[in-house]
Parts: sequence; structure tokens; C-alpha cells
Amino acid sequence: MAFYKDNYDVIVIGGALAGMSCAMRLASEGKSVLVLERHNLPGGVATSFVRNGIEMEATLHEMMSLGPTDDPLYIRQYLDEMKVAIDWLRVPEAYDLYSPEDNIDIELHAGRRPDGTWVCADEIEAKYPGTKGEVNRLLELCLKVYESTLYLNEHTLSKLQMLLHHEELVKTAGYSAKEVLDHAFHLPESVKKILAAYWIYVGQPLSTLPFTIYAFLMADYMKGGSFVARGFSHEMALAMQKRAEAMGVQYEYCQNVEKILVKDGHVYGVRTSRGDEIHARYVASAPYPNTVYGTMIEPQSEVPVQARKYANAMPMSVTNFSVVMLLDRKPEDLNIKSYSVFSSEVPFDTDVFWAEGKKHDGWSYVTTICLNYANPDCTPEGMTSLSITNLPLPEAFDDVNADNYYAMKRAIAKQMIEQVSAHLGVNLLDHIVEIEIESPMTIARYTGMYQGGIYGYQHSMDNSVVGRLEDVEREQYIKGLVGCASHQLVGDGMACNINNGRIASKIILEEMAKEAA
Amino acid sequence: MKVFGFLKDVLGANRVTNARRKLIESGSPENIYSDHIKEVANELHPKVTHVVVTAVEDVSPTARRFTFEAAEGDKLPPFQAGQYCSLDLKIGDTVTTRPYSISSAPFEARTGEHPFFQLTIRNGKPDSGFAANWLYANCKVGDAFTAHLPFGEFYYEPLRDAKNVVALAGGSGITPFYAMAKEIEHGTLDMNLTILYGSVSTKDIILEKQLNEIHSDKVKFVNVISGEEDYPGEKGFLSRDIIKKYSQPDTTYFVCGPLPMYHFVKGELDALQAPARRIRMEVFGAPRDVTAAEGYPKDFTPKTFKLTVLRGIQEDVIDADSREPITVALERAGIKNNSRCRSGACGYCRTELVKGEVFVAPEGDGRRKADKQFGYIHACSTWPLSDCTIRIPIL
Repeated sequence: MAFYKDNYDVIVIGGALAGMSCAMRLASEGKSVLVLERHNLPGGVATSFVRNGIEMEATLHEMMSLGPTDDPLYIRQYLDEMKVAIDWLRVPEAYDLYSPEDNIDIELHAGRRPDGTWVCADEIEAKYPGTKGEVNRLLELCLKVYESTLYLNEHTLSKLQMLLHHEELVKTAGYSAKEVLDHAFHLPESVKKILAAYWIYVGQPLSTLPFTIYAFLMADYMKGGSFVARGFSHEMALAMQKRAEAMGVQYEYCQNVEKILVKDGHVYGVRTSRGDEIHARYVASAPYPNTVYGTMIEPQSEVPVQARKYANAMPMSVTNFSVVMLLDRKPEDLNIKSYSVFSSEVPFDTDVFWAEGKKHDGWSYVTTICLNYANPDCTPEGMTSLSITNLPLPEAFDDVNADNYYAMKRAIAKQMIEQVSAHLGVNLLDHIVEIEIESPMTIARYTGMYQGGIYGYQHSMDNSVVGRLEDVEREQYIKGLVGCASHQLVGDGMACNINNGRIASKIILEEMAKEAA
Repeated sequence: MKVFGFLKDVLGANRVTNARRKLIESGSPENIYSDHIKEVANELHPKVTHVVVTAVEDVSPTARRFTFEAAEGDKLPPFQAGQYCSLDLKIGDTVTTRPYSISSAPFEARTGEHPFFQLTIRNGKPDSGFAANWLYANCKVGDAFTAHLPFGEFYYEPLRDAKNVVALAGGSGITPFYAMAKEIEHGTLDMNLTILYGSVSTKDIILEKQLNEIHSDKVKFVNVISGEEDYPGEKGFLSRDIIKKYSQPDTTYFVCGPLPMYHFVKGELDALQAPARRIRMEVFGAPRDVTAAEGYPKDFTPKTFKLTVLRGIQEDVIDADSREPITVALERAGIKNNSRCRSGACGYCRTELVKGEVFVAPEGDGRRKADKQFGYIHACSTWPLSDCTIRIPIL
């Protein structure tokens, strides 16, 4: 009697989106795959919870890189190829930005017309006349960079070919988003602020955010829009799990991997907290390199010095703080008008917001999501599902311990609710039916992720995706061990993690082919 | 296309690649791993807590209070007054768990020389459970247990609840309110609590002496006795008149007690037009007699079915009595499976139903929408109606 086979081709640690994506691709190539997930749910933070019979999204969630069915973007194409069926609902608008100190109050929509002009350029033009041309030009540049990035996801080119065919990507790769916006475009400050609102989806201020990432984000969202699953993020996660299982993947809940077993520089298996030693020559790891090299590799003498330097040098990106509420009125009665609102208490400045994220004594920039506008059946009639989120750095919680934790959580949540209440002119505290406050500790509890990190490492100018891509191969420090989560190449986000998983599977398949040869 | 100038522009990729290599070179070559956030998370929510019984005392003719301290090398996590603890129990060949509201105050688990928590368990009533009776009869000082805490959402949430709280308690449902009262007295919970404790006879009152010893302007304790004509205090049931008498214009009601009390009290609160958001109900356990539950197939003859249990690549076949939840069938067969609330709410026993017909208790069905769609059940509140195949985690 045994729970596991003697041997698998690949063990995937972590059954979240990247892990499942990786497992599906490997299974589609006929590999035997075991996924070990520590929680009793799939999807990691792409999940939901139920309070008194009512389901709520675990956090700020919208899926990019899908695009409409008749013009699918790369993740919809991948999910279709893997035959994962999910009931997607289109989010009506791109975002609202409300920054009273800048007199900014605008709603933008996704969409590119056949003539190459963008819907949001007209929306900005209506409030800031004379900007349409430059906004269109910026978004066209973003689109070119986006398309090049996707091409390079699949192909390798010489430097000359790069310059000939992917000029926009090459020429902007060395600059921050701020540098490109300031030097290559003539846009009023207000418009630049409006076009910077998505910064929070990578958690990096524009002064240190590579333009490559900025362009990718803008083009993807503004071309394809965004989506939520009708059955909450749990539907997406579970649909992927079921599909992976149908493809032959063995997916096990409640399995915490404690050790990754290495001999002579090559992985040969894992050991779980339960004590099972399971063998495979390839391991895809959701745990951060910090955790892997710091605590998981057995024996520790197998960790190369270069791997330690890598993990120790990588700057942690942001984590999550969300207040998730069910309210006892319908959205209109609470003056809530849109799905997603970014709001700022101070003049919009991503450097200021970023610095505030190093502490927990007041965050000026919050994201408010009202799920009802994308998924009207998500609550019973007459109620609202609302979340308020900020993405601070893990260091903001250095002074928090188990004894002051609950008080800290409530103090932050109260401030965030009051902030949004003031904007709405409605005291949300008078309408709360259910409330859950999610902190980095919540993330750490359920996913085990290092420092409660959801966004991997910073997308900073000294950790640019272009540099990451260049060095993918030389950063495979232990043979057979591949990273598979938001700390990898493309970073954070649900769609990005599906892509991270795909990339991990590609690296593994190439290594396997090399070893077989 | 130009940002600064041709040469600077085209060399950008080299620049960022080199910057990144330089960054990595600057990293420490030592193992400097530490994770403050995970440490705090582990202290807040330990996977298990090993505890030892340090005192056993009767707190009424029908209830016994057990004091637990952390076993050597372990530590009790913080909790919020009203939350529960799930105890792992081995009774004969059965491996089971039971959730009990913690009756002691949170500060007592985190301060003093001997931090502790207490569970107060009732016995001798027809509705007392198999595990409660076993604990009552067998648990003694020095016994070691594996505990899981804290769990549950039955606590005062200042961002949501009114400052004035009226607790409506019956039977052992008093225990979370005693925890709240103690914490208020200690000055670490800021709310006004009026406890209306409904009992048939004064002999049924649990923790009476202890509740009367609480001295705080913010705590009021009122017994409501239904079965003693000459009782000098409040008489009758927890009816709308009594509830109204002790309510403020904005009051949150916390309800904890046996299932029939919930139905009665809910009707009374509805009659008082208490808004839904002002009513907090503790989970109430799976129905004892599922055949009486709403929607259960009429004239279904009780039967023992075959339950095929898949764990990894292993398959076991066990018996499952149609009158017991699937969790209980697994426990009787000695198969470990996670359960915490045993009421269908918390989802710890989330199980894939691969094949077969089942009945899910409609009250307290805490499943996610997609779980219903993809055939997942919460085994603690699901009863077999045919031979079934389930998949559970390897534990």
C-alpha cells in the first residue's frame, strides 16, 4: 500500500496558478507529474472564502492577458490549448483614478479601434484637450514593446535581428517608465499621473519600474481588458486543477514540502512534513529561492555560493493588505459607481506611495474593488462585495508581533475604510455585514510564501525583466531545480504566473531533452 | 523611435543586464535566511499545539471545566474571545476531533507564569455528545492532547459590531460569553456586554459563580429561567420582550446555544426587526438526526453503504452508515481526515466526491460556488445516500 508512485518525472511544489500551469504543460508532453500543495485548496491566493453562506474574493483580483474570445491574448490561447474552461466575465471599465489634490477624477476604458486609436485616449482628451495624439503614440509604443516581449517569450534572436525587428523594445529596455514618459513624450503632468495608475499592479514606482514592464501592463490591459471568473477566483483555480488531473497529473492537498533532496548538484526528490520521501529528477518550486536555499535544500552543502548571493541580493517586492467586506446595501446606494477605483489622498506620486509602503502608519494610495459591477450575482440582492487594498513592503510589518497583531490589523483597516468612506460620502462602517482583514501574515499562513510576498522580487531597474531573461540559464544553480511562481521571470499577477509556470515547464523539457541526448 | 539618443538607447539592454549582475554579486554569500512575517503567522496559527491538562473542576452539577497549558517547548497562540479550539481525540478505535468554545479569556493564554486556556464541557444531558461524555468521564490532570486553535468567526469585531452587545446563550453556549466577559473585565476588550442566559432550571446554569464574580460596569449577567415558577429573576424563554428590555437602540446580538434555541431566537430577533448584520450566530454542529433535516429524501431506509476512499494512488473501502456524516465513517475506520467546526462551515474537511449520491445539510452549507459545481463536499455535513467514492488528503 502506498500513496505515491516510486518515481515521477517532475514534482511541482505548490499547486497555485504557476504550478498548475507548469504541470499541465508537462503532462501534455507525456510526463508524469506530482503536484504537492500545502493548503486544502488550489490556487494559492487566487481563491475565495465563505462567510455565513456568502462567498467573497480573497483579494483584489482581475485577470489580464485573456482578451475577448474573438481576439484572444496569449493566456486565453494557452488555457484554450490546455482545454481549461472558465466562465469569464468582462470587467466593464479599465479603472477610475480619483486624486482630488490633482483635480483628477476620470474613468478609462480598454479598447483599441481598427484605425489604431485607443478608447482611453479619447476619454483623456475630453478632460485634457490636445493630448490625444501623444496618448495614442504612447500606447502604440507600449503595444509594440508588448508584442516584442511576447515574441521573445517563445523565440531567441541575435542582437541585430532584435534591433531590426524589435526596435522599440531594444531602445526602451534600458529606461524606467518615468524616463520614457518624460523624455519621449510631451504630456501634461496630470495625464502622466492618469497613465501611471496601474503601477500598483507591479508595486514599483515609475522612477524605478522598467518601461518594458510598464508597456507590457498598459498594452495588455488596454488592448484586452480584464476579467473575473463567475465562480470567483476559486473557479479558475479549481478548473485548472481538474483539468490537470484529467491530463494525468497527481495533485495532492495538505502536503507541505520541507526538503528538496540534492546529490552531486542534481535534484533527486523531496521530503514532506509527513515524512514521505518522493523521487523525481526535476522539481519546480513555488517557494522563494530564499526559502529554498535557506531551509529546504538537503544537504545544505549542495547550495552553491552563487545561489545564496542571488537569493540574498534579490529585493523583495510588495505584499498585500486587504480589507474585504460584505455591505448591506447595493453599490449605487453607497455611491459606489465602478468596479475598480484607484484613489490618492495626496498629490499623485508613485515615489511617495512606495515610501509609505515601508510603514503601516497611513497609506495614501488605495485600490477599491466592487465585485458586483463585474459579477452582479456575487452577492445576494441588495448587498455589495467590496475590498480595499494596499500593497506595502514586508518591512512595514517589522514591528508587528503575535500580541499586537489584531489591534494593528484593525487600526489599519479602520483608516482605509474611513479614507474610502470620505470619498464616497457614505460611512461604510455603518454597513458592514462581514469583514475580513488580510495581512502579509494571512498570506504566509495559507501559502507559506516568504515574507508573505505575493509579487516576487521587485521589478526594479537593477532587476529588470530584460536582465532576467538574459540570465535565465546561468541562474539555474542546481540541476533539475526550477523556480515556478511570481519570483520568476515575468513576476506577479495571475496571468503572469500562468506564464511563469509555462516558462518553468519549457526549461524543464529542454533540460530533459539535453539529458536524454 | 528615440528616447535619449541612438547609442544610449540601443545599449539599454546591456546596461540593465549588467546592473542586475552587479546587484546579485553584492549579495551575501552566507545563509542569512529569516522570515519575520512567517514566524508571526506561525505563532498566530500553529499547525498544532501540544497541551496538557493542569486542572479539572466542576462548574455546575452538569459541567466540568478543563484547564490546559502548553506542553513543554510549545506555546499557546493568541485568540479572540469567542473562538474555539478543536481537540484531537482517540476514543477506542475512533480517531475524531471536537470543537469547543474556549471559556477562558484570551489574556490568560498569553500572560502570567502559567498561560492557559479552558474548555467547559457539559455532560449528563440527552443532547450531550459521545466525545463530551468521554472527556467528562476520562480526562484527568496530566493528560496530553493535540489541540488546534484558534478557529471560528464568533468574536466581537469592533469595525462591524455595535458597541452594545446582547448575548443570547443556552446550555454550554454560555462559554464564549464568559471568555468575552473576562476579557472585558481585564480591560483588553472594549464593548458593553449583556448576557441573557436561558435555562430550564437553575441547576442547569453553567459557570454561574464565575460569571457573578465578574466586576465590570460593562458586563451584565442575567439568567432567564423557563421551568421554575418561583424563580425571583427573569422568567420564561429568550423572548422578544426580554431581549428588547436589555437592548439599546443599536445592538448586536450574539447567539450561541442548541439548534432549537437558534430557530426560536432568530424568530424573536426578526420580530424586533434586528437588521441581519446585527445578528451573529455561532455554528451549531451537524444535525443529530439528518432524516429530519429539510430536503432529506422522504422514507429513505437507513442503510450501510460502501465508501471507497482514495488517497493518492491508494484505495480503501469502508462502511458508511447513512445516518452519520461521511467524516464519522472515516473516523470509525480510523482514517485520518481534517475536521474543525463539524458544522459544514470552515471547509477543513473539504472532500472531492468522485462518485455517488449524498445529502448535504442545507443549514450551514459553507461550500464555495465552484466546489458545488465541481462536486466537492464538506464531509462533516454530508451524508451518503448510495455507495460513494471520495478523494481525501493524505494525512
